[in-house]
Amino acid sequence: MNQASAAIGDPLSESPAVAREELEAVFADIQSHPLYDHELNGCLNCGICTATCPSAHYYDYSPREIVQLLWTENLEGIHDAMQEKIWACAQCYTCAARCPFGNSPGGLVMIMREAAIKHGMESAKEVLRPFSRVMLKVISTGNQLAPNMINAEHFPDWGPHISKVDAPLTVLRKAIPMPTLHTLETAWEVNLKTSLELYVIWEESGVLDQLETMDENLFDVITDIMEEKRDDYDDWLEDQEDEDGDDDD
Amino acid sequence: MDDNHNDQERFTGHGAEWRNAGLNEDQANAATSWVEAKVDRRAMMVNKERVEDVRDIMWQLEKDGEIIVHRVDEQHEPEMVKTLYGWDKKIPTNQLWHHKSCGQCGNIPGYPTSLLWLQNMLGTRYLDETDQTSCTAWNYHGSGIGNVVSLASVFLRNFHQAYVSAKAQGLPEGYYYPLVHCGTSFGNYKEMRGFLLHSAELREQVKKILAKLGRLVDGKLLIPEEIVHYSEWLHVSRQRIKEHQTIDSSNIRATVHPACHVYKMVPEDAIYDDAIMGGNRLAVTTALMQEMGAQVIDYSTWYDCCGFGFRHIISEREFTRSYAIDRKIRVAVEEARADVMIGHDTGCITTLDKNQWIGKAVGKGYELPVMADCQYAALMCGAHPYKIVQLHWHASPFENLMDKLGMDWRAAKQEFETYLGEVEAGRVETLYDPKNAITSGPGFNA
Amino acid sequence: MSKPVLIVGGGPAGLSAAHALASVGQSVVMVEKEDRLGGAPILSGYAKLIPSGEWARDAIGSMVARVEQNALVEARLNCQVNEFSGAPGKFQAQLSDGSKIEAGATILTTGFTHFDSINKPEWGFGTYDDVVTTTQVEQMISTGGGVRCPSDGRKPERVAILLCVGSRDRQIGREWCSKVCCTVSANLAMEIREELPDCHVYIYYMDIRTYGLYEDLYYWKSQEEFRVKYIKARIAEVTSDGQRLIVKGEDTLVKRPITIPFDMVVHAIGMDPNVDNMKLGAIFDVDLESHGHIGRGSNYSALATTSRAGVFVAGAATGPETIDDSISQGQAAAMAALATLNQNIGAA
Repeated sequence: MNQASAAIGDPLSESPAVAREELEAVFADIQSHPLYDHELNGCLNCGICTATCPSAHYYDYSPREIVQLLWTENLEGIHDAMQEKIWACAQCYTCAARCPFGNSPGGLVMIMREAAIKHGMESAKEVLRPFSRVMLKVISTGNQLAPNMINAEHFPDWGPHISKVDAPLTVLRKAIPMPTLHTLETAWEVNLKTSLELYVIWEESGVLDQLETMDENLFDVITDIMEEKRDDYDDWLEDQEDEDGDDDD
Repeated sequence: MDDNHNDQERFTGHGAEWRNAGLNEDQANAATSWVEAKVDRRAMMVNKERVEDVRDIMWQLEKDGEIIVHRVDEQHEPEMVKTLYGWDKKIPTNQLWHHKSCGQCGNIPGYPTSLLWLQNMLGTRYLDETDQTSCTAWNYHGSGIGNVVSLASVFLRNFHQAYVSAKAQGLPEGYYYPLVHCGTSFGNYKEMRGFLLHSAELREQVKKILAKLGRLVDGKLLIPEEIVHYSEWLHVSRQRIKEHQTIDSSNIRATVHPACHVYKMVPEDAIYDDAIMGGNRLAVTTALMQEMGAQVIDYSTWYDCCGFGFRHIISEREFTRSYAIDRKIRVAVEEARADVMIGHDTGCITTLDKNQWIGKAVGKGYELPVMADCQYAALMCGAHPYKIVQLHWHASPFENLMDKLGMDWRAAKQEFETYLGEVEAGRVETLYDPKNAITSGPGFNA
Repeated sequence: MSKPVLIVGGGPAGLSAAHALASVGQSVVMVEKEDRLGGAPILSGYAKLIPSGEWARDAIGSMVARVEQNALVEARLNCQVNEFSGAPGKFQAQLSDGSKIEAGATILTTGFTHFDSINKPEWGFGTYDDVVTTTQVEQMISTGGGVRCPSDGRKPERVAILLCVGSRDRQIGREWCSKVCCTVSANLAMEIREELPDCHVYIYYMDIRTYGLYEDLYYWKSQEEFRVKYIKARIAEVTSDGQRLIVKGEDTLVKRPITIPFDMVVHAIGMDPNVDNMKLGAIFDVDLESHGHIGRGSNYSALATTSRAGVFVAGAATGPETIDDSISQGQAAAMAALATLNQNIGAA
């Protein structure tokens, strides 16, 4: 029964072994993902995925290894890869474009990342911490990125000037000849109604549950913001009805 | 038979058995002519018995009454192109709904403005509105937050809005056809369309959500006939753009960086053209650059990604900048001696442009202007480098390119600085009537 | 006197069938669309054949001569079958030269089409002159010109042979193994090393399938005697830095991505179904199997059958096949055709 652990277990490791039940539960979630069979057909061990993988150049990461671990159902190896390796993948999908068997190692990595989140793995939490600003932005507005997020403080390696013409950001944004881009808080102006529609998608597709598992604080902040937005929208709807009523008089 | 022919390199293969085959040159040529004739490439291509075309499933599902297809029809004045396996793809050229890119609009706004400017130049009708979200795929690929259901729902919500958007102008449904600006949105939407067409269960889940949003058509999911990237519009419009070109770019050595999510994701949908690099490389952007008269230079890391990495650009920046500099920028400069690198995606342009500055700190001070294909095309047609092409947001030394093109960027910069005064005084010039931007909800005026 | 057997295609399988039939006194009409007999080994100018080591033009050439000199075999060159009807013992064929013939049975030895490397653009063929196919290297050797880089005629110092080009690849809908390329490549590598002893030859493979007796005769020998290097890696892309070809792979042993310069890259191209198979299937009303080759009627009880009685098939028309197996199958098909003729003696 414990063949896998016997084969993979590291006798020198001091970290406590992960319970077999947990390993199985994680793998069960991976395997039952609706895309699992679509992304994994088998493996010829040819290495074309790793050959073309940008992350393999810089990290201890190999898409071929990921595919092999999954295909051979190496539960400990899978769990171990989920602690760090899966986050090295750059998601370019070159591996998927090349695989002669039609696998998508990049897609499998996403399935594993989703599972890491579902199981609230510490590794996932750590990885996501720098992402919280982006997450807040995209979930509450429907826009991933805002002009005022790009500044020398957050991106010191991009140079001292975000714009080569020196002027206040507000003015520079207004000087973009697309009216939808005269914004600071979102990359383009998103209609309130639109943000709320997206929020329904987050609620209904289980994304908010993912978020709650990962970062309860952020979850609370977002739900508060969205409640306010919903109130604002309801107020607007009421005003509309009033106006309609006025028109009828 | 020339006996000396081969004295020095005489085959010893199989010892004394060896005899010269003695084919004369004509015979030898005839024997390999099948290779050299380049056959009819498309006749040898991968047919649909070999690789599945999801659009066939789409038409069947529509026939079965399960979905409705948003067609690219005559009103969109489509152009036909060939994709990787020689299949047809319809690219609409008019009545376009701009599906913007968060990274472009936030980081490199000259990207969409150049595109809209070119469309104004060609008299293309379009709509740029506030009722649209990011595709959320950047976030998903970076963080793992999100799933197939959320991504597919966002896809169909946005495309449904494109379908109904013209109602605000008293025009019929389907009038505008979505044009996707971002490469990742483009790739992600194509993946999602494939998953939706393959899985009845996913369609059921997404349908429930879209019903709640009032985003079904006759109670059915609306699926686009084609998912179209702006670079494809640019590709089929390149000859018309060329007619407006005012600046000679024949002395420019350009390298093209093709975007992974544009041509490696759902690769069978990417455009290839026998006349462009023998049909062996992605046609978009390269064809445009050649049309603009630039020399497109090949380089050994053409296939490599940019290093963006989705989460890496935010939290693994050492990877991103090392990859961008070592595998792309350095190679383009040293090997191809490039004057510019041209891309067609949000993340790539950002990565390749913004990460050059830090290179100086480690003795890798390569200087290579980086911009999008539409920005380059707009420049060639006389668009203002700052007011329209918005190059001041670029960190890379676009000034070097402008010098080589004989363009006075200092004067242009001064004009722009003067214009900023106008802007501060509230006199803002825009590419279209701002009231078109809101089609419903708060702020809408019918 | 029975009607002749119609043989479509004058390659090794067809030549073998024709010879077998003629040797027992059965007349044959052989229709060949090219201007000469011999099939792929002659038309594509193969060098030395496996396993005999004989030059293709000698080995296959003698088969051609044997058939050409036999009065019972009538060869129609530059000719194709346009229409085909009837039943066993009484088939009628309308040929492209305007003539009609009657046949008691038919054997399809229509062969294969070399995979066109242009369909795999990321491996550089069509983009870089020095990316060539195994067939082109065979040509360089069989013409006596020697192995040279097409770009400038220099002798390559480093050659990479990529296996499975157009084989075992779902990306392009070619899932089959082409069966011969591993052995052909091992043989080619030895020939390159013989001619250019200073040249390093690397073979990049997914699996080596030098089955049967070819294991030591080719795979081992190429290493032991010719120092050919085998690396288990499927190459991702072939590009150029303007000087040399750049090959990107994974060394699966050390599990690291590698980038290696080469002077010449050789595609070990696979065997596609004959490009005309759709047409042939319709004309002869025979089913194709799922990959697009001509389908076999039975694997055990009756050899060489198709889905249509009296129409037989042999050689690479049925799937990737070696030359010697094609020759064997030609004989089996001849036997099956004879049986049909015997059963239908006197058919109008």
